[in-house]
Amino acid sequence: MKIALSWLAKYIEIEENTNELEEILTFTGIEVEAVENISALPETVFSAKIISAEAVTETDHLKRCLVDIGNFPYSEKKENGYLQVICGAPNCRSGMMSVIALPGSILPEMTITKAKIKGIESCGMLCSEKELGISDNHSGIIELSSETPIGITANELYELPDTIFELEITPNRPDLLGYIGIARDLSAKLKRSLKMPEINIPDAKCKAETMPLELVNKVPDLCPRYIARLFNKVELKDSPLWLKRALIKSGLRPINNLVDITNYVMLEYGHPLHCFDYDKLTPLPEKPKIPAIVIRRAYQNEPIITLDGKSYVLEGDEMVIADGIKPSAIAGIMGGNISAISETTKRIVLESAAFHPGSIRRTSYKHKISTDSSYRFERHLCAYSAADAAKRATQLICELTNAELCEVTYDSFPFPPKPLILGIRPSRYAQVIGYELEDEKIKDYLERLGLKFLQYGNWKQGKINNIAELYCHHTEEMKQGKTEFTELANCEHTHYYEIPPYRVDLEREIDIIEEIARLDGYHKIPVKTLPQRIMDRHSYRIKKIAVDYLISRGFYETLNYSFSEPNLLYKLGYKDGDRELEMITLKNPQSSNQSVMRTSLIPQLLQNLAYNLNRGEKNIKLLELGKTYHRQDVLSYEPYFLAGILTGLNKEEHWQEKASPLTIFWVKGIVEELLSFLHLENLSVQDIKVPFLSRTESAAYYLADKELAYYGKLTAAAAEKFDIDTIELKQDIWIVQFAMENIINATRTLKTQFQEIPRFPFVTRDISFLIADEIPYCEIVKTIAETDRNIISDVTAFDEYHGKQIPEGKRSLTLRLKLRDKEKTLTDERVDYLIDSVIKKLRETWQIIMR
Amino acid sequence: MEEELQQLIEQAEKDIFACSRPNDLLNVKAKYLGKKSLLSSLYAQMRELPAEERPAYGSLINETRKRLEDLIEEQNRVIKENTWKKSELKSAIDLTMPGIFSSRGGLHPLTVIRREIDEVFLGLGFEIAEGPDIDDDFHNFDALNTPLDHPSRNLADTFYLEGGGLLRTHTSTVQVRVMEKYPPPIKIISPGRCYRNDKPDPSHSPVFHQVEALVVDKGISLADMKDMLSQFASIMFGKNVSSRIRPHFFPFTEPSAEMDISCVVCGGTGCRVCKYSGWLEMGGAGMVDPNVFDILGIDSEVYTGYAFGLGIERIAMLKYNIPDMRILYENDLRMLRQFKGELR
Ligand SMILES: [Zn+2]
Repeated sequence: MKIALSWLAKYIEIEENTNELEEILTFTGIEVEAVENISALPETVFSAKIISAEAVTETDHLKRCLVDIGNFPYSEKKENGYLQVICGAPNCRSGMMSVIALPGSILPEMTITKAKIKGIESCGMLCSEKELGISDNHSGIIELSSETPIGITANELYELPDTIFELEITPNRPDLLGYIGIARDLSAKLKRSLKMPEINIPDAKCKAETMPLELVNKVPDLCPRYIARLFNKVELKDSPLWLKRALIKSGLRPINNLVDITNYVMLEYGHPLHCFDYDKLTPLPEKPKIPAIVIRRAYQNEPIITLDGKSYVLEGDEMVIADGIKPSAIAGIMGGNISAISETTKRIVLESAAFHPGSIRRTSYKHKISTDSSYRFERHLCAYSAADAAKRATQLICELTNAELCEVTYDSFPFPPKPLILGIRPSRYAQVIGYELEDEKIKDYLERLGLKFLQYGNWKQGKINNIAELYCHHTEEMKQGKTEFTELANCEHTHYYEIPPYRVDLEREIDIIEEIARLDGYHKIPVKTLPQRIMDRHSYRIKKIAVDYLISRGFYETLNYSFSEPNLLYKLGYKDGDRELEMITLKNPQSSNQSVMRTSLIPQLLQNLAYNLNRGEKNIKLLELGKTYHRQDVLSYEPYFLAGILTGLNKEEHWQEKASPLTIFWVKGIVEELLSFLHLENLSVQDIKVPFLSRTESAAYYLADKELAYYGKLTAAAAEKFDIDTIELKQDIWIVQFAMENIINATRTLKTQFQEIPRFPFVTRDISFLIADEIPYCEIVKTIAETDRNIISDVTAFDEYHGKQIPEGKRSLTLRLKLRDKEKTLTDERVDYLIDSVIKKLRETWQIIMR
Repeated sequence: MEEELQQLIEQAEKDIFACSRPNDLLNVKAKYLGKKSLLSSLYAQMRELPAEERPAYGSLINETRKRLEDLIEEQNRVIKENTWKKSELKSAIDLTMPGIFSSRGGLHPLTVIRREIDEVFLGLGFEIAEGPDIDDDFHNFDALNTPLDHPSRNLADTFYLEGGGLLRTHTSTVQVRVMEKYPPPIKIISPGRCYRNDKPDPSHSPVFHQVEALVVDKGISLADMKDMLSQFASIMFGKNVSSRIRPHFFPFTEPSAEMDISCVVCGGTGCRVCKYSGWLEMGGAGMVDPNVFDILGIDSEVYTGYAFGLGIERIAMLKYNIPDMRILYENDLRMLRQFKGELR
């Protein structure tokens, strides 16, 4: 629903700017889908009269117009002080009042300049509504009423600048489907008074006998209320500007004064109205001469042609507003064309009714007709607002069409619903919403919403039929000698309100609680607990991921004491002065081998390994995730490490899939895979710093100057110190270690991001060549990738071979290239060309020969 | 003509049914339906017929063609299914031979229990806080309202370090550090290693693991603590396990309590594990002593809180029926492998 700020301001004072109002609407529960600002126009855009309009020869649509701009000072006036303007609009004609934009005017989408069109000078432009930015209407230039004086600025004519809010109204709030409803909600939210339109209905001049009507409501269950007001001597003409511009800004096209009035009142009160041509209503056969309106279900296969010229065949379930014989309208959805208002219409029936929302919805759905009217009636409009809308329309019809009101108002309202009385306990508000609100605030919000405060009292469970009953309920207890409210048993302080009929959504205490909370503002609801802030979840997660990864590779977790003995580090080859030997000593150790806090996890893992080897285990993979302890300031620095020790076979033995001894690449893979899982890239590989690993079969991974991990083969000498004879064992012993604190810190900001899935398939090509042993694989891969980074998406080693047919000092290497173009499927030619370039580049860079 | 076609069908049927490989079938198809087939030549002859005879003639040929196509499709299906059957029967497999397992290892049972406890409390809205193992007198004793002459401060109970500091005797030190740094509300558990100068024996270890819980907020009562304990006991040990608290003394809680759960072995009827009491001791608990709050600058009139501590070794031993705490620190693969299936 489109709401213009200028119109809304008629019902409530708005001091806020557009952004503030948008925020207020949103937090009142009215979603703002779009905001459109209509900017002010220059003063050089104003009303002007077309004195003459003659067709320009050689063109089929251009007209040369002389335009009277009155006293407006402008130097280019010609021929008796008029302005010459070329106009191509179909509705342009002499005698017409329109809007001119003088040269130099800056309009929303163009700047007007003096121009020559077909050799004729044109000073300015006659404008359409679209060109002024006030609507999408571009069917012709603006046509103002002939009474409009010349020289009224467009800003004044159209109340500019203005803002249009496009609102999304939730289905539970039919009362918000009009300006007054929105203003009422805002008045409660902003605590400002609601200004309802003043309605003065003139005396009824038309006698009942002049316009008799037979109103029959056969379906009061589907049509709980039907008001018909009759008017004589209706003059159909254009609506005044204020009415037109109101409709235009809310997105409706002005038609004539009568139709515009019904639309205006629909937008104002949210209640759709309809007009019939009284003289086209056929009487009932049994009551000839009296035009009839019969509210009934359609007959099976009953035809109707609606206002828009479409024909429908009704099935019998639909509700229609019929005359004595045939349907005049599909109730609440669209009028029929026979009884429609036409140029000859003199006497009309104004319909204001309430319909069963389900019936309207079913019919609208069944025949696929959706109108502003059906949209509203589907949402349960109230029977009482039908009367308000009828009154407002009556006033406007009398004012704007000079019609005479008929003295009889027909009103079929067989079962007026009783007003609903609801109690609301402030204590319950606090219980449900979470904070307390004073009586006065609650009362103020609700009264502004139109709820009628009845009294304070004690809580009564169940339905309250009338106020008297409420008194009864209290006096029962009063009889027992309690005179003050606070003395009443089970005293729960309660407000009682009468619910206005247009608030069909307020049926229970909880509904009212929601209203109060919404108006007081959800931002006032306190947050009880602070957001979680103590736990380092990232650290927790990374440690878990790392351990679980090693477990998945076959490791068993150990836990060793935090204390150890210095001797073990000497055994590993550490020397005095090494940081690892700066250990924190216990004052009162239980034994000498538990005399210091450990600075490394490796010695105990070696002990664990020896222990298990001694018990006949051959294939061992052990890990420990634990702290090491270093003196720092007065206390300590206790970084976490994850260390692993492994020996034997690479997997469980199996009769079919044979296991094989662990290799350095198996161990290296563990380190690299975990680091790659954690997206640790651009690492440098350096020599290890620990003394117990083979210099040639080890490596450490660094990110900048931080060591993240290392792996390597334990030296036989170190193993021997831990009573492990590697010669006898006939197995290598491998060690991996991850510096968890560095890894945790390096991964804090890294995260996986989705990459678009390639739409074109991979092409794989294997190439084999002879390379010198000293050229590293990683350099070759780099060289290949650089050939064409867009196409070569992956290069991996597929096979390596030393031996027969291969010259000494060289190896045969087969690489598998994955090629893919993001834009298209690769052709064989393209692939061949690429492979040729790769081979050429390898030859030039590394003197590598293909095999 | 009709007769000719009937013969054609009969001959084709024989040929088609004789096919046992897809290629044979393709040849037969070419023979009967291809460009040089009898059917095609008959079709070509249609042009020479008078116009009124053509429809009947044409439909006869089409029917024959359809019939042949159906037969070929049917035989194609038969060949396919036979191939499938053959591949199924090809090798007689001894399904009693071992399957291929992954080479997964396993977590230490204490980690299994710790992760399980973490999970329970994370699910109940707690955060996990960690702190240093090496701490000072203030965080381990003073802040916890432990008098200077309290026996727990003895060398016989606490490990002290050269150059200052001690090894924490409980993870309450973490609670102190959290309360120093963060204003309430606080809802944490602090798992970690603790140290006491106990000689290793079946129920003692100089290094052991604890989880302590601390909740500080407005309106926290002993009832909340009891509630949390009963939740924890039922999630951790099973729905039928009940819990209770008994009056006790700790310097840093007032009132203090010891908490028990109903024996997970006998269900409360009495057995060797619970020493025929029906109850198992779980750890200490209580309402944070106002003195502790005062020391840490938390208004003890506004805030209240509870704390309790659990021994991870004890829970592991109970749950897995481990008779001796020392087994947990031997790191014997024959022990570790037993917990391979305890995935957490
Ligand atoms: Zn028991």
